[in-house]
Amino acid sequence: MTSAPILELRNVRAGYGSIDVLHGVNLTIGRGEVVALLGPNGAGKSTTIKVISGLLRPSSGHLIVAGRDVTGASAGALARAGLCTIPEGRGIFPNLTVRENLLMATFSGHKMSDIEEKTYARFPRLSERRTQLAGTMSGGEQQMLSLARALATDPAILLLDELSMGLAPLIVAELYAQVAAIAAEGVSVLVVEQFARTVLGVADTAVLLTHGSVRMAGKASDIGDDVLAGAYLGS
Amino acid sequence: MNENRIQTFTEEIGELKLRGARADRERWLLAIGTVALVAGVALAVVGGFQASGTTEVGDQLAFLATGTLIGLALVIAGAALFVRYSIARFMRFWLVRLVHEHRTETDRTIEALKRIEDKLK
Repeated sequence: MTSAPILELRNVRAGYGSIDVLHGVNLTIGRGEVVALLGPNGAGKSTTIKVISGLLRPSSGHLIVAGRDVTGASAGALARAGLCTIPEGRGIFPNLTVRENLLMATFSGHKMSDIEEKTYARFPRLSERRTQLAGTMSGGEQQMLSLARALATDPAILLLDELSMGLAPLIVAELYAQVAAIAAEGVSVLVVEQFARTVLGVADTAVLLTHGSVRMAGKASDIGDDVLAGAYLGS
Repeated sequence: MNENRIQTFTEEIGELKLRGARADRERWLLAIGTVALVAGVALAVVGGFQASGTTEVGDQLAFLATGTLIGLALVIAGAALFVRYSIARFMRFWLVRLVHEHRTETDRTIEALKRIEDKLK
């Protein structure tokens, strides 16, 4: 499934003000690959996502996308090219209806009718909720909407930050099944998760981050409970 | 997807215009504006003192031209940059605050609706 990397972080250091959060992070995502970025709270997972999406400039190191060094590119330019981020928590407009939220994705040049057709085929439940205010839907449905809106922009790379946050295990499993289907279509996916077990089932590769450094990187199947326990419990 | 999409993506990434330096352009322009403003005031004051310290009209004109006039030009340019980028920062902060307040209000409304819904069940 994997070939030449579509995204790379090379020795990236980044932080907020004078505080460094990432201390030389290396990460590679292949085409159509699902990479799980794991780690305990405060490990630097969300900061990594911010660097990749262009929201945070690294103090040193390089961000390589599709073979080009794009360190310092704006988040808007990267998003327009096809690097799509679903942020932690709510990535939707809660006071707009489902349909209006999807309408927001037409900025990418896609027709509303096409977006609706694809969305409702992938997430039939959203079809029933099309006139409902997004903020009044369940957490799982809101995540479905954020996924649907992201997919409507036809991304080449999808960054998912804590998809499972606050959701029931059954809903999480359903969402990750969709993530696997998205990756099967050739979209490269980086999933940031604090709850490792939920994502290792669909990931090809896993990267374990602790204290802003990569502690382990390899096949998802190689990340055992002992490694996770060590990282999360600080041994 | 997907070879076509990957190809388009690669082309679009290749066409991205990157800002060479990592410096925050806006922060730099704000700093330049502040420095120009202060330097302009200093130059104008020095030019004024030097002009008033001589009775030679030719020297006075030279001091006014090199000190006061250039100083005033720097003050105007510096003030323009300072105001432009200070207001931009303030407005951005204000916008974020409005969005945050709007979201909080929406959350409160949704919670109230849920409470009403639960009581009606």
